[in-house]
Amino acid sequence: MTVLKSQSRSSQILRAVLRDRLGMVGLVIVTLVVACALFAPWIVPHDPNAMNIQDRLQGPSLQYLLGTDQLGRDIFSRMLMGAQIALKVALPAVFGAMVIGMLLGMIAGFGPEWLDSLLMLVFDTIRSFPTVMFALAVVALVGPSLNTVILVVMLTSIPTYARVARTQTMSLRSADFVMAARAAGTSSPRILAIHLAPNTVGVLAVLMAMDIPTVVALEAGLSFLGLGVKPPTPSWGALLKDGYALIRQTPWLIVAGGLPIIVTTLGFTFFGEALRDAVDPKVKKGR
Amino acid sequence: MKLHWSRTAVGRRGFLKGATALGAAASLPGGMATRAAAADDSTLRVRAYGDMQSMDPAYSVGVTDEEIHASVYNKLVQYKPGREWDWQLDAASMVEQVDPTHIKFALRDDIGFTNGFGAMTAEDVKFSFERIVADATESPNKPDMGPLRHVEVTGEREGTIVLNEPFAPLWSIALPYIAGNIVSRAAWSANDGKVTTTPPAESGPYLRASWSPKEKTVLKRNPDWRGEAPAWDNIEILPIDDENTAEIAFEAGELDFTRVSLGSVARYRDGVPNGGALLEYPSLYYAWLGMNLDHPKLQNPKLRAAIQHAIDVPTVLEAAYFGAVEPSTGIIAPGLVGNRAASKIPPEADFTKAAQLLAESGETNVTLKLDTLNKTTFTTAAQVIQATLATIGITVEVNVLESGAFWASAENEDLQLVLNRFSMTPDPYYATAWFTTEQVGHWNWERFSNPEFDQIHQSAFKESDLDKRAALYQRAQDLMEDSGAYRFLTHEATPVVHSSRVMPALRPDGLALLRYFEKG
Amino acid sequence: MLLGYALRRFGVAAVTLFVAVTLMFVMIRLVPGDPVQILLGPRATPELQARLTAELALDQPLLRQLLIFYGNLLQGNLGVDVFSGRPVTLIVLEQLPHTLRLIFASVLWSVPIGILLGAYAAARPNTLFDRVSAVISVGVVAAPAFVVALLSLLLFSVHLRWFPAIGAGEGFWDQLRHLVLPAFAIGLSWIGYIARIMRASMLEVMGADHIRTLRALGVAERPIVLIYALRVAVLPVVTIIGVGVGFLLSSAVFAEIVFARPGIGKLVIDAITTRNYPIVMGAVLMSTALFVTATTVADLINAMLDPRARAGK
Repeated sequence: MTVLKSQSRSSQILRAVLRDRLGMVGLVIVTLVVACALFAPWIVPHDPNAMNIQDRLQGPSLQYLLGTDQLGRDIFSRMLMGAQIALKVALPAVFGAMVIGMLLGMIAGFGPEWLDSLLMLVFDTIRSFPTVMFALAVVALVGPSLNTVILVVMLTSIPTYARVARTQTMSLRSADFVMAARAAGTSSPRILAIHLAPNTVGVLAVLMAMDIPTVVALEAGLSFLGLGVKPPTPSWGALLKDGYALIRQTPWLIVAGGLPIIVTTLGFTFFGEALRDAVDPKVKKGR
Repeated sequence: MKLHWSRTAVGRRGFLKGATALGAAASLPGGMATRAAAADDSTLRVRAYGDMQSMDPAYSVGVTDEEIHASVYNKLVQYKPGREWDWQLDAASMVEQVDPTHIKFALRDDIGFTNGFGAMTAEDVKFSFERIVADATESPNKPDMGPLRHVEVTGEREGTIVLNEPFAPLWSIALPYIAGNIVSRAAWSANDGKVTTTPPAESGPYLRASWSPKEKTVLKRNPDWRGEAPAWDNIEILPIDDENTAEIAFEAGELDFTRVSLGSVARYRDGVPNGGALLEYPSLYYAWLGMNLDHPKLQNPKLRAAIQHAIDVPTVLEAAYFGAVEPSTGIIAPGLVGNRAASKIPPEADFTKAAQLLAESGETNVTLKLDTLNKTTFTTAAQVIQATLATIGITVEVNVLESGAFWASAENEDLQLVLNRFSMTPDPYYATAWFTTEQVGHWNWERFSNPEFDQIHQSAFKESDLDKRAALYQRAQDLMEDSGAYRFLTHEATPVVHSSRVMPALRPDGLALLRYFEKG
Repeated sequence: MLLGYALRRFGVAAVTLFVAVTLMFVMIRLVPGDPVQILLGPRATPELQARLTAELALDQPLLRQLLIFYGNLLQGNLGVDVFSGRPVTLIVLEQLPHTLRLIFASVLWSVPIGILLGAYAAARPNTLFDRVSAVISVGVVAAPAFVVALLSLLLFSVHLRWFPAIGAGEGFWDQLRHLVLPAFAIGLSWIGYIARIMRASMLEVMGADHIRTLRALGVAERPIVLIYALRVAVLPVVTIIGVGVGFLLSSAVFAEIVFARPGIGKLVIDAITTRNYPIVMGAVLMSTALFVTATTVADLINAMLDPRARAGK
């Protein structure tokens, strides 16, 4: 019973998610966003970076579904491309944060007391900066780019994963199968890798799904402050930044940057909640 | 249209009528009751770029402080509102240039300082001017006063300004601007010369009534002012750094006067909300694309020439400034001595020539980094440059920096291309100052170094013959362009909007001269 | 037991604050650009530059700068603003009320709505209302504050002109009008957050033995919910508000930028981009202290209410 996640278990979880109507909606949205991200280069009606200054700042039309920006680029195409940028930032950042967070969290939960205290202190510290201030300092330090954004996002979300992994590890530390393994002389790293990690991954996976929106919003926030991706990268935050500067020339940049963030957040949150209920049915009690 | 500091121009009222007509002002039918209008009939609400920093002119950081100082202190002469650079008498009843290094003045007898610091005397003038140049003051505005030797006091209200050598900018940036403010010697001495955010004594048509940091500065009418009475009882100056935000506030009726972004000019030309009007003024700023001459990637003169020719200035301006500005020929704007009629390389790109130059240069796979500020205007311009350079096969990576990192570019050894803009005072001396060999490692980011240019900078300010002076500064800009380190873009422009309640009084570059604002 | 926990918790808070402030001190000094260059600008004389460099101890090794900073801090001296020469403490304290007012207003309108929504949903589990409330609460969590701020600025200020676009206003009513949009933007995502915690907490309480006993005794559902369950269930929400201060501070930074409001967020962003070290440190110290205090107090309240929390450190 050391590995909870067997083949039948995953399909059971999937069925549970699909039964949940909101989960279903979430799954549809997530699929749509992922599809946009994957196929954006083929489905965009215009080259998202092609300038056409004569046609700048137009309202929506059949040719330009959401109008054009100050360089005459098609906002709709840039919005679709933005999905790709969002996931390009979110997936590695969330995955990286999860892996590092899980490792550190398990070390904290399983290791000596002083190490636990030290790690918790570091996590608390990172958490105690308003994210924006921390991000501003890091970006100024290493220079703005897509990779910097990933780094900042990762640094700020590691503590969340680490805390959950730590709690999970602590609760399992004295579980029978861990005790048994220890009595059999299994080394600590081995116990962590074989017995504890698989049981922690499930919880963290749910957290990941729920965390993607936060990360997308953080990227947008950084780009909005002019600290994010490099132009002409069409991230949603970059659309919002230009949209704020041109708020009375065209409302569509803010719409095209803002709505996808909200929709994506909705999708991932619905999906994540359903997933959590499925993975951990006891929180669903009463429903 | 050279800058003659004579005293001939049109009267202020005459000018203002003209300005309104020139400004392509169209009015919308008066809409909703505005907040500013409803609030108080005699409170003018204007926007400033930044917050007040110091009430001591010696430590004034520029326009924001000066707008306040100019209202609460007096100078011998003030800028005259209008479309042509000119000055008019203020605290002086007479100013006369006796010879190139001696300027005689006499003060009016009806100007007094508040808080019981008495009448303004020639001693106050002497104190104010000499402390700007004194080493102990450490004033950042010292260069404005140039080669001031001292001020001789010849009577209670008479004196002579004595210069070490002729200094043409005296009339354009020393006397009527920051360094020209006359403060009370007694009041400053009573504070041990340490004046920060509270003025110990004022003398202008307004008094600074209150200051709420980052919120507003309030000026109120000085009851003891004996000069021509200002039109407004109160002026509220609101620090708003973002033009876009200021426009929103203006349209919501929360401001009577603000500079607006160039992107909004086209829209305001079609009509300004709440019955207001748009005025378009030129600007003295200069924006350019610079190339770091010390960078290994930019050593090839043909490559630099190719880049110069491949940047299509009209397209950059159309995109980044919405076509509301004209291409520039250098660092000295039209209307100032030394403005070039044309640049050597025309503003329009010549892609054939650029491609040919690039081929001749022998460089292949050129990839360059272009640094710029994280403001939409600059990032837009940078993206156009990126796109046009791509057409001749040069790959540009746009590196957007927050202002702190950007203004530290002198330290950045890897600086390659940089899209930059400097502000300017109305004298060419101020423009050439940043491109000398001495400034390498400070503000000369292109690391342009030319002995003849340095020589011109050192000598041209002494030249009193306007034509000769102009020729020198034109030659200086030729040298900059020939180095291949510069592609001049624009001097930008200063569009401002004002509500129907106010008739603004502006310098030829659109800077507000608040004490002369009239009611509309 | 509780006292021991409180002492330990405050110790951790103090160390966290120390590490955070030190980290920021080091980071801001490693970033390119320094106040002598950026703040004094191109026209500063070499003498002035030298004096400021000495005043800020920028010519000293980093560790020594840090020691000087803490030395001054222990004497309650945060230094003076590079330009105006005004004490940093004063500058930070001037801006603080704006931010606190904004956070307070956001909490004030969003928390009651969140509590009602969550409680009502929990009282009628699996009804349409529960489902709708779940959608609403998840949906509004979905909206990052600055996106809501931008959209509401676009709609309510620029297009409809219902609310002022900028600043903090003067006088009570005017300030209130200026607070509406930013507080709306920040508070919105809190409704869902609070509602979900409230719902979970409520469900747990409703399932508790004594409530079941009451029900078995035939007490009507309404008094049970209003008198017994709600009072207990609301406690976790109280502690969450403490934890949320950090989150609200981050949102406030954006709201202050979008609506050009004065406040700590705007202050710190301006100070970082101009490399005004003393103000950066003053503002960071203030906001971190605010956050650490809020979480510590929340933890303590939690520990008082729930002894289990004390055991697991």
